[in-house]
Amino acid sequence: MDTKNVLVIGAGLSGLTCSVKLAENGNNVRLFSPSPSERSQSVMAMGGINAALNNKGQDDSTSQHYTDTINGGQEINNHKAVKKLTDDAPEIIEWLDSIGTSFTRDENGNIDQRYFGGQKKQRTAYAGARTGKQVLTAINTMLRKYEHENLVKRYIGWRFLSLILNDMSECVGAVLINEFTEEIQSFEADCVVIATGGMNKVFGKISGSLQNDAGTTARLLQQEIQLANLEMIQFHPTTIKTPVKSMLITEAARGEGGRLYTIKDGEKWYFMEEWYPELGALMPRDVVSRSIYKVCNQLNLGINGENIVYLDVSFLPEETVKVKLDEVYEVCTQYLNLDPTVDPIPVYPGIHYFMGGILTDDAHKTSIKNLYAIGECSAQYHGANRLGGNSLLGAIHGGYIAAEEINRQTVTSSNNNEIIRKELEKQMEKYAQWKDNQTSEYTSSYTVEEELASIMNNAMGIYRDEETLREAMGQLEQLENEKIYSHESYYEYVLIKSLIHLSKAFLISAINRKESRGAHQRIEYPEKSDKYRKTTVIQEKNNEMIVSFNDTDEKMGW
Amino acid sequence: METLKITILTQENGEEVIKEYEYTGNLNIPVTTLLEKVNHGNNTKIHYSSSCLQGLCGSCAMLINGWPKLACKTFVNEEVMTKYFHKITIEPLSKFPVIKDLIIDRSKIYENMKEAQQWLDEKAKINPEHIPFEYEVSQCLMCGCCLESCPNYNGEDNFMGVVLPVSSSKITAQETSDEKLKLHKQIHKKHFYNGCVKSLVCQDVCPMEIPTQRAISQMNYKSVWHLFHLFNRQEK
Repeated sequence: MDTKNVLVIGAGLSGLTCSVKLAENGNNVRLFSPSPSERSQSVMAMGGINAALNNKGQDDSTSQHYTDTINGGQEINNHKAVKKLTDDAPEIIEWLDSIGTSFTRDENGNIDQRYFGGQKKQRTAYAGARTGKQVLTAINTMLRKYEHENLVKRYIGWRFLSLILNDMSECVGAVLINEFTEEIQSFEADCVVIATGGMNKVFGKISGSLQNDAGTTARLLQQEIQLANLEMIQFHPTTIKTPVKSMLITEAARGEGGRLYTIKDGEKWYFMEEWYPELGALMPRDVVSRSIYKVCNQLNLGINGENIVYLDVSFLPEETVKVKLDEVYEVCTQYLNLDPTVDPIPVYPGIHYFMGGILTDDAHKTSIKNLYAIGECSAQYHGANRLGGNSLLGAIHGGYIAAEEINRQTVTSSNNNEIIRKELEKQMEKYAQWKDNQTSEYTSSYTVEEELASIMNNAMGIYRDEETLREAMGQLEQLENEKIYSHESYYEYVLIKSLIHLSKAFLISAINRKESRGAHQRIEYPEKSDKYRKTTVIQEKNNEMIVSFNDTDEKMGW
Repeated sequence: METLKITILTQENGEEVIKEYEYTGNLNIPVTTLLEKVNHGNNTKIHYSSSCLQGLCGSCAMLINGWPKLACKTFVNEEVMTKYFHKITIEPLSKFPVIKDLIIDRSKIYENMKEAQQWLDEKAKINPEHIPFEYEVSQCLMCGCCLESCPNYNGEDNFMGVVLPVSSSKITAQETSDEKLKLHKQIHKKHFYNGCVKSLVCQDVCPMEIPTQRAISQMNYKSVWHLFHLFNRQEK
């Protein structure tokens, strides 16, 4: 088998897993990230990771995990990918256990599992209140061995600028920039793996990491890479407003028994339990978010007339709140000045996860040969709505699959020096142009970022309509013409410019899906339509954005 | 409204740089939010590193009025109003090279972890009773607060600081290769035991409240005291 030279861009769980699996087979990996892996958004994943281990004697099976995932995603998931994902899940847990993840155990010493949304079985394995962090520590420890053997070389502080494409539009490397020193460098490679996370920054400061700035996805769009299902944005039902940002109250709070209520006629009204007697507050996230929206905006029953309902965990044993949900306890006491063992938590849905992103098939291949995408930046597993506990699973599984595919690929050697030199020169020229043309008289990038986030949050809320979406398009076109001052940071400049572009793709995708499905709810088209049981694909060609609806399981053909 | 005086104390090309700002507004905010407000309010960019903004990732460890802390968990009101008379001084951690403003280069920590071979060579041995402790040491953010406050760590000699026993206390509990276990003990002696004077300050400053003393005593026992006990027993 050939040894390959691979660039992995992003060092969260998916990038780490992919790097470990590539290095295990003797490949050379260069791993790029804005900061060390401990800083990645993966460490913020609290709740757990789904796998039909059947440790609870509930007759769970991988096929039930499959069905729940497809139902949760409203059938526009890549079915073949979900089949692999759910079949491989128990093996992934076994692997994580074997490399030293400190999973919480039950009284028999087995890995404990709890209830999560959209699933009737206790299927979510977890490690205390910090599953993401615990898993990341284990994989990061594993990777260290390969760093020591020089199979993996890390580049900290680096951001993606552009792909290097040959005449046949195949990827032969990438150009990256050191965000702080502004050194721009080209890297030749047999394959490039994108693992850059969700598109948080389009919407300002949402619950996730600031580092997941959507920049890589935005610049890939500009290089004609196909993106998918951008309109599918998950609103987590229970976020809180703090002076810092919107923060998440994990679904585990409801998994452990937490209840949602508002006040109606002076009494507590547990609306989810009344509307959905079977799963109650543990319905899939899109359903819970819409229900809270309905309570506040249609029934006008928000707490004190505001967009708030209560999440109550105060009646649970104090130990459950302080140990199993210790992150909930800490966030509430530190950032809200509220003790959740005594008082209910004021919550409302907030943007949390992007089911859409870079279009990939079940082998994690993108529309460009030799380019893979894994983790939250890639769209395939989650369809129109992701189940809680499937994101950590998807991130790790993506790393597995991409590494497997790359191992299998044969390398064709060709001389790309000229192409690489040209792309590097092109990026250097752009940098020089910017350098000569910066003045604080231009509009501050901070202002542009805020305007962008405000336009996008307004247009891409829980419910959408064509008029607002089109209006937002007009506003973006105006924003595009602004001259921007980015406080002497070239990366900030490139980022904000490309984000405006990407934002248009979000709106166009949302305009074109004329139905209501999962996370995408159109006021004019309240029903789900079979015509749209497909993947929304958007591609930029000759400065035009082209939308098509493809089969969910379509292969990339390379 | 009360006004806060902010001093950013850093270095550029080996020279000390002082930047001063004033801020009037809601003071019930953490230092990261304060920095953001200063940047926006002055149309400037003080570079600082932040990611999760809620005390989970360790990016924003810096010196706040002289103490190593996570800026996103350190609220301005508590910190400055009573003790520091409406003044706040913010500096990068001093034991690491400065990249820009408040951003530091922690690669020394990672180099040390590689040199100390902090990984498993064999499949992890899982003992359910050990899990709560292993969970706690796995929380390490590699933020550098412990090294900053440690009287023995200087980033230059053999002493690697408490990040080493925090990591190796879990790894040696899970490792099954005898040869590797022996090596871990030697590494602990050389890179930790011989340099630590037990000031215990690491446990006080750790933002994740990792029981560093327990990690240290476990590793000391495994690497040093355990051998003494064996030796004594043989003599009798």
